[in-house]
Amino acid sequence: MSNPDMKLTENPWALLELKADAAEVIASPARGYWGDVWARLRARKPAMVGLVFIVLLILAAVFGPMISPYSYFEQNLKLSNIQPIFNPYTVSTTDEDGTPETAHFFLNAGNFNLYEVDARGALIGLIRGGRKDMAMRRTTYQIAGQAVVVDYSQQPTRLFVDDVETRPGGWQWNKTYWFGTDQLGRDVLVRQLYGARISLLVAFVATIVNFFIGVLYGGISGYAGGRVDAVMMRIVEVIATIPLTLYVILMMVVLQSGLISVVLAIGTVFWVDMARIVRGQILTLKQSDYVDAARTMGARPGRIIVRHLLPNAVGPILVTLTMLIPSAIFIESFMSFIGLGVTPPLASWGTLTSNAVETMRAYPHQLLFPAAAISLTMFAFNFLGDGLRDALDPRLRK
Amino acid sequence: MTQTTLHANSGFGRWLGKLPLGYILRRALMMLVTLWAIITLTFIMMHAVPGGPFVSERMMAPEIEAALNAKFGLDAPLWQQYFNYLGGVLSFDLGPSFKYPGVSVNQMIADGLAVTAQTGLLAVLAVVAVGVPLGIIAGLNRNRWPDTAVMMLATVGVAVPSYVIATVMLYVFALRLGWVPTFGLDDWRGYILPVIALSGFWLSFVARLTRSSLLETLDQDYMTTARAKGLRPGQILIKHGLRNSLIPVVTVLGPVVANLLTGSFVIEQIFALPGIGRHFVLSITNRDYTAIMGITIFYAAFLIFMIFIVDMLYLWLDPRIKLEDSE
Repeated sequence: MSNPDMKLTENPWALLELKADAAEVIASPARGYWGDVWARLRARKPAMVGLVFIVLLILAAVFGPMISPYSYFEQNLKLSNIQPIFNPYTVSTTDEDGTPETAHFFLNAGNFNLYEVDARGALIGLIRGGRKDMAMRRTTYQIAGQAVVVDYSQQPTRLFVDDVETRPGGWQWNKTYWFGTDQLGRDVLVRQLYGARISLLVAFVATIVNFFIGVLYGGISGYAGGRVDAVMMRIVEVIATIPLTLYVILMMVVLQSGLISVVLAIGTVFWVDMARIVRGQILTLKQSDYVDAARTMGARPGRIIVRHLLPNAVGPILVTLTMLIPSAIFIESFMSFIGLGVTPPLASWGTLTSNAVETMRAYPHQLLFPAAAISLTMFAFNFLGDGLRDALDPRLRK
Repeated sequence: MTQTTLHANSGFGRWLGKLPLGYILRRALMMLVTLWAIITLTFIMMHAVPGGPFVSERMMAPEIEAALNAKFGLDAPLWQQYFNYLGGVLSFDLGPSFKYPGVSVNQMIADGLAVTAQTGLLAVLAVVAVGVPLGIIAGLNRNRWPDTAVMMLATVGVAVPSYVIATVMLYVFALRLGWVPTFGLDDWRGYILPVIALSGFWLSFVARLTRSSLLETLDQDYMTTARAKGLRPGQILIKHGLRNSLIPVVTVLGPVVANLLTGSFVIEQIFALPGIGRHFVLSITNRDYTAIMGITIFYAAFLIFMIFIVDMLYLWLDPRIKLEDSE
C-alpha cells in the first residue's frame, strides 16, 4: 500500500555517508549460546506453558503443605468421601418466638449421609440422629424443626421435606476441602501436594544420578575407548536388556517398600540410557582438535572429560534428561500404583489413583484429581523436553 | 516390470542364503552370558533380602522352619543352592513356589501365559497395525489437519500414564456407559480396554517415530532420483519411502515388547486378568521368592530372545548395516 500524499523530499536511493563508527554498530544485541537457546525456547508456547506449570508445581509442592490447615495423615471419619462440589438443600422454619431458623445441607449420593454446610459452602458437619428404616430404604432426620426424609429405595435418591419432594438449590464449591476428602476423611488437596513432593523428589534424584553416574560413566567409557569401553558397555548392555521397571521392582523386594527405597531403587539403575548417549557423544567429540591441544598441554584425562568434553555435550545431555525425568516420575507412580512404592499414610499420585479405583463407582472425584495431576505433569515435562530439544539443536527440528 | 530398484535384490531368500553365521553365533553367546548375569543377579538379590523366605507376621516354630528349609534345600551352603538353581534353570525347571504348596513356578507361568500372550500379541499388533499407518498418514499430510489430529492423539498417548488411561477408560466405558465388561476376557469386548491401555504409549510413540522418519526419508536424494526416473508415486512411496523409514521403527520393537511386559503388571491388575504379570505382582506382595526369581528369569530370557529376533529383522531391512560390532 502506498500513500499518495507522501512526497519524497529527497532521493531515497542516495548513498549514506560511510562513517567508521556506524559500521561497527551491531544491529541486534549480542547473545551467547544460552541466550540463543532461551530465545528459541521462549518462542515455543507449549514449552513455556510446561515450564510455567512445573515452576508452579514446585512452588505448590514446597509451600502448599505449609499453608494448608490439614495434614496428609489426619483422619476425620465423620467427614469421609466428601465431594469437592455439592448441591445443597435449604430448609427453613420460624419457631414460636418468631426467630427464623435456616439450615443448609447436602446429600452425599455415595453413602446417603446428610452434611450440614453454611451459606458459603463451608462444611459444618455430619448430620446425625437419623432414624433408619431399612425395610422402606429411607432415613428420617429432624432438621430445623422439619422432618427430612432421604429415600434411597430407587435411583436417583430423593429427598422429602414434610412429605414434599424437594430439589436442591444449586451447585456450590466445597469451601472446607477444595478437592474433597478420601475414604478416611483426609483432605485430598494436601495429599495431592505431598504426592507432588514425592514425584518432584524422584525427578530430582533421577537428575542427580544421571549427572553424577550416567554422565561420568558414559564419559569415562567413551574417552577410555578400547577394552575398557567394551567391558563397560557390555555391562550397560546387560543391564539395559531388562526393562528398568523390572529392576526397580526387584530392588523394592530387597529393600522393602518405602519412600527411601523407591528413591534408592530408581537411583541405582536410572543412569543407563544417559551413559549410552554420553558415550556416543564423547566418541565423536574426543576426535576434536581442542582435545589434542589439551592433551598436549598435559591435561589429565579427568580434566579433559569434565572441563572439555562434557560441556560440549551438554545439549544432548539436557535433552536426554528431559526425557528421563518424566519416565522416573512415571516409574515411581507405577510402582506405587501396584503397591510397591511409598507406604501409607504417605501419599503418592500412584497410590492415590489406585485407592481411588476401589471407590470410583461412587466417588469418581477421587480418581479425577490424581489422574489429572500426573497427566498434566507428564504433559508439562514432555512439552518442555520437546521445546528444549528444538531450542538446543535447531537442526533436529521436524 | 523389469525395473531394478536399489533394494530389489536383497530379498528374504537371498538374505537367508548369506546369513552371517559367525555374527549370529557371537550374538547367541552374548545372549547366554546376559542371561547368566541376570540369573546370578536375581539370585543374589533374592538371597540378600533380610530375614528368610518364611519370615512372616506369625512366629514359626524353629523346628518347622528348619523342616521347611530342608524341604526347599535352603539348608545347603549358598554356593550349592546357587548351582542347584542354575542347574534347574538350565533344565527349564524354575523350582517350587514357596507360598503355594505343590505349585511349581513353571506351572504358574504356564497358567498365565495364555492370557498375557493374547493381550500382549494384540497390543503389539495394535502398535504396528495402527501406529505405523497413523504415522504415515500424518507424515504424508504434513501440517494439515490429519497430521495435527494424529500428533495431538500421540502426545496424549505418550504423556498420560497407562494406568491412568486404563482407569479412566474403565470408569467411562465400563462403569458409566456399560459398553464393555469391567473385568475378565470372557467376551471379545473384554479385550478392547486392556489392549488400548497396554498399547497406548507405544502406539503413540511409533506413530510419532514413523512420521518423523518418513519426513526425513522423503527429503532424501534417492527419492528425487526415483521420481526423476519416472516411477509411479505409489511404488516410490512403498519401495523407497516406507521401507527406509521403517528401519528406526523396527529398532524400537524390542523395547516395545519389553515394556508391554512390564505394562502388563498394572493392566492385568486393573482389569483383573489372570496373566503372568498379575502372578508376578502377587508373588511380590506375597514375598514368594522362587516365583519372583523364576518369573524374572522367564521375562529376561524372553526379552533377550525378542531383541535377538528384532536385530535379525533389522539386518534384513537395512542391508547397509555393518555386521561386525564397532569395537
